Amino acid sequence: MSLFWIVIRQLAEIQAMATSKKVITRIDWEKKLNDVKVRKEDTNQLVMNFLVTEGYVDAAEKFRAESGTEPDIDLATITDRMAVKKAVQCGNVEDAIEKVNDLNPEILDTNPQLFFHLQQQRLIELIRNGKVEEALEFAQEELAPRGEENQSFLEELERTVSLLAFEDVTKCPLGDLLDISQRLKTASEVNAAILTSQSHEKDPKLPSLLKMLIWVQNQLDEKATYPRINDFSTAALEDPAV
Amino acid sequence: MPTSAASNHSGRPEDLIGRLNSTHTPYEAKLKALRDLKNQIIGNRTKKQVFLKLGAVPSVVSILSAASSEDSAQGGGGDNREFRDSMLIQSAAAIGSFACGLDAGVKAVLDAGAFSLLFSLISHLNEKVADAGARSLKLIYQSKLAPKYDFLQEKNMEFLLYLLNSKNENVSGLAASIITHSCQTTVEQLALSEAGVIKRLVSLLGGSLIQRDASLESLAAVVKENSEVASKFMGPENGRALNVVIELMKDKYPRTRLLACMCLICTRNTSSSYLRDSGIQNKLVLVLLELLDDPGQVGDEAPFVLSSLITEKEDMQKIAFDENVVDKLCEHLRAGTFQAKRLQGLFLALGDLCSKLECCRDRVIELQVLNFVTEALAHDSAEVRGAACTCLKNVSRSVKKLSAGQFMNEAVAVPLVQLLCDTSTSVQVAALGAISNVVVDFMPHKSLFIQCGGVKQLVQLSKSMESAIRVNAVWALKNLTFLVNNKCKDEIFSELTSTTLISLLSDPEASVQEQAFALIRNLVDGSLYSIEYVFGEDGLLLHAIGKQLRSTSQIDVQIQVMYTLSNVASGNECHKEAVMNQLLPQAGNDTETLLIKFLQSTDSRLRTATIWALINLTFPSSPGTSSRVTELKNAGIISQLKNMDNDPCLDVKLRAKMALGQLMMFGDAST
Repeated sequence: MSLFWIVIRQLAEIQAMATSKKVITRIDWEKKLNDVKVRKEDTNQLVMNFLVTEGYVDAAEKFRAESGTEPDIDLATITDRMAVKKAVQCGNVEDAIEKVNDLNPEILDTNPQLFFHLQQQRLIELIRNGKVEEALEFAQEELAPRGEENQSFLEELERTVSLLAFEDVTKCPLGDLLDISQRLKTASEVNAAILTSQSHEKDPKLPSLLKMLIWVQNQLDEKATYPRINDFSTAALEDPAV
Repeated sequence: MPTSAASNHSGRPEDLIGRLNSTHTPYEAKLKALRDLKNQIIGNRTKKQVFLKLGAVPSVVSILSAASSEDSAQGGGGDNREFRDSMLIQSAAAIGSFACGLDAGVKAVLDAGAFSLLFSLISHLNEKVADAGARSLKLIYQSKLAPKYDFLQEKNMEFLLYLLNSKNENVSGLAASIITHSCQTTVEQLALSEAGVIKRLVSLLGGSLIQRDASLESLAAVVKENSEVASKFMGPENGRALNVVIELMKDKYPRTRLLACMCLICTRNTSSSYLRDSGIQNKLVLVLLELLDDPGQVGDEAPFVLSSLITEKEDMQKIAFDENVVDKLCEHLRAGTFQAKRLQGLFLALGDLCSKLECCRDRVIELQVLNFVTEALAHDSAEVRGAACTCLKNVSRSVKKLSAGQFMNEAVAVPLVQLLCDTSTSVQVAALGAISNVVVDFMPHKSLFIQCGGVKQLVQLSKSMESAIRVNAVWALKNLTFLVNNKCKDEIFSELTSTTLISLLSDPEASVQEQAFALIRNLVDGSLYSIEYVFGEDGLLLHAIGKQLRSTSQIDVQIQVMYTLSNVASGNECHKEAVMNQLLPQAGNDTETLLIKFLQSTDSRLRTATIWALINLTFPSSPGTSSRVTELKNAGIISQLKNMDNDPCLDVKLRAKMALGQLMMFGDAST
């Protein structure tokens, strides 16, 4: 993350100098930026970190071949992790649970909240498919005991079971549980837990770097006028409006 | 729905076990049954219990055993190697899950002999098999029931180092768990340190997330209460290792932050000079404060770590108070609905804060959280009940609050008295501790406690088989008897009876004797009426006191005996004469020297107590004083008192002067 701190330091120097709003021209700015030396390996690591964490295994393999950057994790485990994530996204929760348990049985045994959310997702899928009896049986046998162990689980369970009370679930105020976003939420929770169990950070570094960039620009706006990055997809510097 | 839905109901527990046990089940089906079983129990406590009752653990262990002996016979090779490895992995994983978070499961696993089988998997060529074995062992070692690893055997230490040096994260993690679980004595800590374990653990701090956490936890275990080992951790390379841990206090992962705090606190507590700069002290408090907000296990454990930082340390309590820790803890109590463990921790930490500082007690009362404490006295969990008692005990250390009658109301008294019949001894002891403080309360409220049936219960407990309960029960009775009116004293005495009191005076535990004497001391304090308690039934109690006076060699008991006699001697002529008879019996010569011996004691408290008795015996306006002075003079007391003119203890010096002054008023005493 050295790049980021170099930029911060430079900005801090500029801030210190500014008594009133200072204007920095494009030429000066670019000259300053050119003085910042960023190691190619560092940026490559950032990219690799993003690809690995987000699970783009093919891209990561290609990137490794092209850039010679070694990932900090066995790429084969990404495939397993993605298979779990995909299973949840497709609503195939039981399959996902079995896959996680094969990957590392500790994950669900030591993470009651995640286990509950997966079981809850299983219940949601049963309800979605109209398997009312099966859903009730599952809620009673598998989920109710978890609710007894934890008050907040019980509340979530009650919310979920109430889906059954509506003939047309699209009209149910809790319909969001049936939404695809609920699957994605659960899938990303499993993904994060697997990453943690593999001693890997659960979030990629690039997005937080981007957030820091926005924060720094906002800070700097109060002190100086400078060529700003407004379009983050192109990262083009835009001339300051004088 | 996809195909997996069908498998949902094929796995009735009974059927699964049947398939596992049957010799007719084809191998593939057996493997599938094993995997189904594993998938059913992972994360599911109720299912674990169901399968445990059906005897699943021995079945799984015997499958592991068969696969493992077949494996070693074939040297890890053979035709169906892959299949055998799967059997090993699935059975090891199932065993690990039974042992995860369920003591009954750990017991079953150990009873079935899985322990050594799992250990044999660690060196397996297939890394996935080794992983499975190491993970399951690690889970077993997280339970208190796991057998202790004997580090002192050379072979074992070598094996531990082999594990610790493994590149496999699960294996080195297992080594760390073994250390955390089994390292308990100073000798073991030193042995580990000498074997180079600290160095290795420190290098693991730079490893993966899992290795870091495991290393922090083990370091805490190896350093705990051992200044010699701690210095080896603090010292090298200008405390580089320590700085790494300090940095980890700011880590992104809450669990890592918590463990780093724990490790630092263990190090800090070994010496009065480590980690004393205010930056780190404040940081520790602030990090732990923030970790209290964690909704999971970290938040449950944070108050315990906080408690280890502040317990018995007034300076840290002050820092914590200044950082609004009391407010924060109370806020959490108000939020409600959490695990028993967290509640227990919150009460413990709050109790620690209130153990010394009045400002903390004030704040607790001000924030009106006492009702949460009293509610918790009836909690399902014994640990929570005990912690609530401890908290109440420490909050009620405030004389100011006691005299305001803050604690003696039905909401406090009734549940406290009920806890005296608690099934857990430690809860009973904690409740007695709280009662001891609460009943120091002043006059008007004491009768309430008696009305709640408190005395009856306390008297019952004073006859308990557990000495910890006896001593605390008598302690509570003693405090209840402090400055109480005669009506209450009558009630207490009639419930207690002199027979019980006499047996308590000669209790096998000196601490119980001490409290019993202090109880009588409070009982006879104040009025002539109350002094009569020891003269009832032909002075039975007084004789017992005298007997103990002559036989005990415990200074703490002797002090209380002297104060008791001193209180009796404050009474009328008759009372004074009776005390004289106990102190200077006509017959023997042995006891004559007793008074001198006490006056020459190295313990200034005993010297003070003895002089007080003399002062009360020689009160000038009493008609019989003159003859008592003669007796005392003959016993050599006056010359002894004169020798005490330069006593190193100021209190003794002053009292001796006072006693001499009284004695000198009688002419023949001057020689």
